[in-house]
Amino acid sequence: MSLEDRLSSGELVVDTTPLKQEFVIPRWVRKTIGGIFEYALYIVLIVIFATPFVWMILSSVRNQAEIFAYLYPFGWHTFVPVEWTLQNFLDVFGLSEAGQGNGLYFQRFLFNSLLVSVGVVTSSLIFNTMGAYFFARLEFPHKNVLLVFVIATMLVPFQATIVPLYIVVRGLNLQDSYWGLIVPWYASPFVIFALMQFMRDIPKDLDEAAIIDGASLFGVLRYVIVPLSIPGIVTTALLEFQFIWNLFYWPLIVISRPQLQMIQVAIANQTTQTQIYWGRTFAGAVLASVPVILLFLLLQKYYVQGIATSGLKG
Amino acid sequence: MANMAMAPRPVGANFWQRLTNRKNRYYFMAFLFVLPALVNFLVFRYLPILAALQASLWQYSLLGGYRDFNGITHYLNMIHDTYFWKSLWVTFLFVVLKVPIQVILSLLLAIFLQKEKWVTSFVRSAVFTPVVTSVVVVSIVWSMMYHSQLGLINSMLSVVGIPRQAFLSNANRALPAITVMMIWKELGFSLIILMAGLKGIPTDYREAAIVDGAKAWQIFWHITLPLLKRVIMFVVVTQTVFSFQVFVPVYVMTKGGPLDATKVIVYYIYQFGFLFQDMGYASALSIVTLVILLVVSVIQMRIFRSDVEY
Repeated sequence: MSLEDRLSSGELVVDTTPLKQEFVIPRWVRKTIGGIFEYALYIVLIVIFATPFVWMILSSVRNQAEIFAYLYPFGWHTFVPVEWTLQNFLDVFGLSEAGQGNGLYFQRFLFNSLLVSVGVVTSSLIFNTMGAYFFARLEFPHKNVLLVFVIATMLVPFQATIVPLYIVVRGLNLQDSYWGLIVPWYASPFVIFALMQFMRDIPKDLDEAAIIDGASLFGVLRYVIVPLSIPGIVTTALLEFQFIWNLFYWPLIVISRPQLQMIQVAIANQTTQTQIYWGRTFAGAVLASVPVILLFLLLQKYYVQGIATSGLKG
Repeated sequence: MANMAMAPRPVGANFWQRLTNRKNRYYFMAFLFVLPALVNFLVFRYLPILAALQASLWQYSLLGGYRDFNGITHYLNMIHDTYFWKSLWVTFLFVVLKVPIQVILSLLLAIFLQKEKWVTSFVRSAVFTPVVTSVVVVSIVWSMMYHSQLGLINSMLSVVGIPRQAFLSNANRALPAITVMMIWKELGFSLIILMAGLKGIPTDYREAAIVDGAKAWQIFWHITLPLLKRVIMFVVVTQTVFSFQVFVPVYVMTKGGPLDATKVIVYYIYQFGFLFQDMGYASALSIVTLVILLVVSVIQMRIFRSDVEY
């Protein structure tokens, strides 16, 4: 029986009441609107997060008067210099008469920060790697108790215990020296913990094979574990470098000789004393932050991985 | 090695022999690997706490050294110290303003930026850049942006016709202004951790829910959120502990003012230790802060304890 026959015989009834007219937004319109909304949000986010940096960098390459002159009305030249100049940088490096007159020599502070950061990263590479190797691989009676001893240090609030730390460092007579800046940080519970997680994933057969071949414990670390942990080591070294480079409170109190001061404290002092020299302040801020930001942008993958693993597995 | 250790020794085997048997030599060598790190933690993480406990019981200054034994006087003084209570209150306000907003925003962002596209990775880098920038630089640039006369934010507000505002010099606005800045700075940090957590959720659950006809918000509420609980707990606890110790923005931007509206606890400790030269009281304050933070993080871990494993 054909469909027509079934309809005419009344076996099939067609509902002829009109469909409720529902306005359906076509799929492509919805997709476009959603897409526009999505990208608008991306742009808003980028504007919110990039504007302070853009303002900082562009203001560091224009002269003082210009920064203020184009503030109102808000527009293109609020950000973009009319006349580009490196004067602020010459000033903070003491390469201009004005800078010399104010006794500015940021190169020294940058050098101090670099020295301390490299010192901490180097020593921390050695001692944290060794410590992580101990916890990940070696046998020792009651090793877990030692691990708890290490992990519990992560609970000690760092900024809140700066005063007590200073009492100890003073007792060791390390204050007001590079040693005072480096020694308290030569090992880090966070780094040991992160590297330990990393090393645990390396197959054990490899070190056993090396031991059969006559390698010492140090030999296993040097020729088996370290080469296979390079990504983890690079990551933690980066995080550590950034941590030390950005250190503020500790150098603020442990250093009193200006020539030993680190860059972060130096720029903070410059700005509170010479609030009027905005151009120089911006130049100092650029010098103190842009190297680390560039390092991050180049090695972003490692940073993100490091934070995700040391945070998550903990 | 085990055999050697258990082998019966001749009676009277001397101490030296036992000390130098293979197993103990191995332990000794192994311990050398961890010794430097342990010494560091002992001296620079644990000893300060003991030193602070000691200093808090004495009248102690850097120049005068230890003078009279005070007993618990410093701790008793704290009870009547209205500035101390005020600073705790300010710190508390900062934490309860910052942490929930930051965690919720970063959770929403983590879901929004989940798709792997070049735009999302670009946005992620933008959000993460403040994290690697020093707090000092961020505070300096933002204090200029917040400037009541010459600030960028007031210039932007003028576009929509809002008159110039005082941010940092207004006692009601200074703390919220610092809070906004610190959320801006640390959002990327919690974002990265939450995104890693999202990636760790097996896709099966989501797919099963979609097959069962669950809506997007239902998936979020009943699947994503419970499975993310552990990660969210980690973010909340660490952010609370970090935020409770805020110091640099206050030092750079407001020096605790106006009218002590931003004088957080760590800044108060700094004032006593290094400006008023009263290390004894500063140490007592440090000990109390330490205890508060330990208690807070233990309570939080209890509340957020997750029963869901995957």
